Amino acid sequence: MVDTLLDIAMMHADTLVIRAKQGDQPAQGKLVQLWYKRIYNYAYKFFLDHDLAMEVSQKTFISMCRNLPSLQDNGRFKSWLYTIAVNYCREEARKIKGNRAVSFDKVWNPEAEESPQWESSRQRNENPERQLQQLELADILQEALMELSVEQREVVIMKEYEGLKFREIAEALNISENTVKSRMYYGLDGLKKILDRKNITKDTLGYEL
Amino acid sequence: MNYKPNESELMAYLYGELEGEARTKVEQYLALHEDERISLENLKSVSNLLGRVKDKEVIAPPIFIGDAKQHYFWDVPYFKTIMSIAASLLLVMMVAYFMGTQINMSGNELKISFGKQPEVIPVVKPEVKPTEASLTATQVQEMINSSLATNNESLQTSFEASQQKLDASIRKSLASNSGNMDQLIREASTASQTQIREYVAGIQTENMKMVKDYFQLTATDQKKYVEALLVDFAKYLEQQRNNDLQLVQTRLNSMEKNTSVFKQETEQILSSIITTVGNPNSTRGNKN
Repeated sequence: MVDTLLDIAMMHADTLVIRAKQGDQPAQGKLVQLWYKRIYNYAYKFFLDHDLAMEVSQKTFISMCRNLPSLQDNGRFKSWLYTIAVNYCREEARKIKGNRAVSFDKVWNPEAEESPQWESSRQRNENPERQLQQLELADILQEALMELSVEQREVVIMKEYEGLKFREIAEALNISENTVKSRMYYGLDGLKKILDRKNITKDTLGYEL
Repeated sequence: MNYKPNESELMAYLYGELEGEARTKVEQYLALHEDERISLENLKSVSNLLGRVKDKEVIAPPIFIGDAKQHYFWDVPYFKTIMSIAASLLLVMMVAYFMGTQINMSGNELKISFGKQPEVIPVVKPEVKPTEASLTATQVQEMINSSLATNNESLQTSFEASQQKLDASIRKSLASNSGNMDQLIREASTASQTQIREYVAGIQTENMKMVKDYFQLTATDQKKYVEALLVDFAKYLEQQRNNDLQLVQTRLNSMEKNTSVFKQETEQILSSIITTVGNPNSTRGNKN
């Protein structure tokens, strides 16, 4: 997830947050650099859309820079940042729901081979065959995620991909830890059912890979 | 053992966030319950599957916050707090200056005053001549004693004089008052003997007169009353006599009438008898 050990150390360094809070612009820039990938990936998995993920990420970091001085507990920076991201994701989701115009990508059957989404999510700098397999699995799993409810999706992404502790997720979503765990349970259960329906199991995947 | 872990505990166990006794409890439970263990493993496999999705690489775009203000040192909260305290102090001092506040502290006294302090006019004390100060204690004592003695004397004399005056006035008033009193008492004692006699005699005569008059009046009244009574009684008797006389008269009259009727009847009978005797047929016929 994170590139170097130095980066891990930096991400959790309170000093960087403190400096950024005091208006140190290089520190703020560093924070953005460190956390941008995480927030982008959270939003991408939430929407399965690059543009929306970029928009949410940028809004999140602009808001972060503006509101950093109001952050009371520096130790809660991580969950605080995810709270902002979650709120922007929900806002964008509401906009999409309220918007009558539906993008072509959503209308098109994504399972079809000629899916524009399939093409748009192509990455170019790896072994093409392996990349294709990864891409297919990733797409299947992402689609399965998208079938979950918003609440379950938020928790599953935060736990599985962002590596947050249940306590941190509870803080970020402002709900109880038990609710988070319960959502996680039903989220995983739901995903299992979806994957069963799609006939995807550990064995089939192992064979494919 | 009725223990059954709930979803929260299972999730915490699955992600390694359950520790200590709770963890061993869940482990024991899963060891005993095969189906639960399998379902949890299935969830774990889903979780592993999800883990195969890699992060998308993205380059963070430079974020410029257009309206981000340059942070000057006076924007620091500490500076602001100190400055605000200083400004309020300055304001207080300005107000104090214009109001002419004066704060004095002397000894144990704290004095806060507003406005101009009134000028204290120094009281000119009469200068005490230093010559007087050379008196000794005995001299002072003597002076006090002499003044006390003179004072006592004057008091004594005035007291005596007033005492005498008082005595004289009391005697005078007593003498005049007793003379008056004696005269009055004597007059009263001389006058009382004859006056009482006269008074008693007067009362006696008055009483006699009254009794006489009363008796006379009552006598005449009784006389009149008895006379009236007698007249009335006489009248009554006369009336009674008249009534009796009338009754006797009427009785007599009725008796007279009866006797006359009887006489007539007897005469008739006699005549009839006579006639019958003379003419027996006619008498028979009459009889029939």
